[in-house]
Amino acid sequence: MNADLFIPRSLDEALSVVQTHGAGLLVMGGGTMMMAHINEGIFFPQKVMSLARAGLSGVYRNGHTQIGATTHLAEVSQIADYPILAEAAYQIGGPAIRNMGTIGGNLYMPQPAGDLAVPLLVYDAHVELASPSGSRTVSLEDFLAEPRSHRGVHELLVAVHLPNPSGHTAYLKLGRREANTPSVVAVGVRIVMDRQGLVNEARIALGASGPFAFRAKNAEAALIGQSLNTKSIADTAQIAMEESNPFTDALATAWYRRRMVGVFVKRTLEQLTK
Amino acid sequence: MESITVTFKLNGKTTAVAIEPLESLRTVLREHLHLHATKAGCGQGGCGSCTVLVNGEPVLSCLMLAALADGQEITTLEGIGTPQHMHPLQAAFFDRFAAQCGYCSPGMIMAAKALLDKNPHPNRAEIAEALAGNLCRCTGYVTILDAIEDVVTQMQEA
Ligand SMILES: Cc1cc2nc3c(=O)[nH]c(=O)nc-3n(C[C@H](O)[C@H](O)[C@H](O)COP(=O)(O)OP(=O)(O)OC[C@H]3O[C@@H](n4cnc5c(N)ncnc54)[C@H](O)[C@@H]3O)c2cc1C
Ligand code: FES
Ligand code: FES
Repeated sequence: MNADLFIPRSLDEALSVVQTHGAGLLVMGGGTMMMAHINEGIFFPQKVMSLARAGLSGVYRNGHTQIGATTHLAEVSQIADYPILAEAAYQIGGPAIRNMGTIGGNLYMPQPAGDLAVPLLVYDAHVELASPSGSRTVSLEDFLAEPRSHRGVHELLVAVHLPNPSGHTAYLKLGRREANTPSVVAVGVRIVMDRQGLVNEARIALGASGPFAFRAKNAEAALIGQSLNTKSIADTAQIAMEESNPFTDALATAWYRRRMVGVFVKRTLEQLTK
Repeated sequence: MESITVTFKLNGKTTAVAIEPLESLRTVLREHLHLHATKAGCGQGGCGSCTVLVNGEPVLSCLMLAALADGQEITTLEGIGTPQHMHPLQAAFFDRFAAQCGYCSPGMIMAAKALLDKNPHPNRAEIAEALAGNLCRCTGYVTILDAIEDVVTQMQEA
């Protein structure tokens, strides 16, 4: 296995590796998925770059919150002011996976993995990307919808940006067992109420319920101006089910996933009434 | 690029080893350094049998580029006890029959050690959470939890 390994010490160095070798380069954040593929012989990369030493890790606060791309899931699980992001990170893998996997890598994972996208959509996250020719910041929603491949890199995810949180949130992940298991479905919600107790702002994000994690916008719209009650919750769950576009894999059928979207949207919203 | 040399502290001893760029830490430990306690299970991050400590934190050595071990402190099962001088966790696994085939035991013990080093008084649920990434096909886990609880009790009494 002859290959070139690059371990850049800064973002600038990493970008110059991208510029020179981008076409045939494989990038690793924590490598939890990439190493598994290399071990399995799915990939025989000639050129690999690990971002582990590129100085892209850490949580910074400066009017808003910025989480570096290589921040480990273990550290993300400690970010107390974004409780459902911390919760979702804690529910990934076991302690060792959380010490290795990164938030940036998580956002490139194909469904049903990529659990952090659900709470991050709920918090209106943006992602900052850098390429040798410049940088761009896009909403996570748009980023997730972009086509991608593991091979050939032209830009790097540098950081995730989060506005200050408002409202009440809940997150639930359904797995086949209690821990260390991929999502059958994952649901995150955030509701901001007005003084009359009516929903002013709603976010409902679904994971493992489509080709990528997404906001169920019809379901969100249905909640605006309503109080959270048995009927409004049931109606919203029904709309979210209709909006989902799940898949069948070894964990669950599309049929089951769609029903669980309904059940888990209902349960997350019910948590907010308590 | 042919091979690269990495230098790390392995079980307290400074160790330099020539590796291929994409080799995992697990391969380097087992095949270059002949330390076989760290098991080669799934290679996919799924079983935990390759768990070692890097700077005191549990990681899966099958998923870690050995090149990233450079400058770090690595602890494997061989570094925490010997048959003559067992670590309390090793002794407790022995006393409680927490190892049947024993394949998972090194990973279980390293994951448990990482927990106890941080939180010397975990309850049973916290112990189970710390072992969430470690699979055992034999014991049904009860004896493993019992063994670790024994060590917690011993430490409370000491
Ligand atoms: C046992 C086990 C359990 C798991 N459980 C879960 C789970 O419950 N939920 C879940 O969501 N995931 C799970 N995973 C998958 C994975 O470990 C996590 O999603 C992790 O966060 C991936 O991050 P990474 O940095 O290790 O990814 P890597 O393997 O390093 O990279 C993944 C992809 O992202 C790209 N990439 C990484 N960083 C960047 C960057 N900064 N810029 C551009 N591209 C980048 C890589 O090129 C690659 O395509 C599990 C994995 C294992 C082995
Ligand atoms: S061999 Fe590393 S987790 Fe299974
Ligand atoms: S004792 Fe056999 S796998 Fe645990």
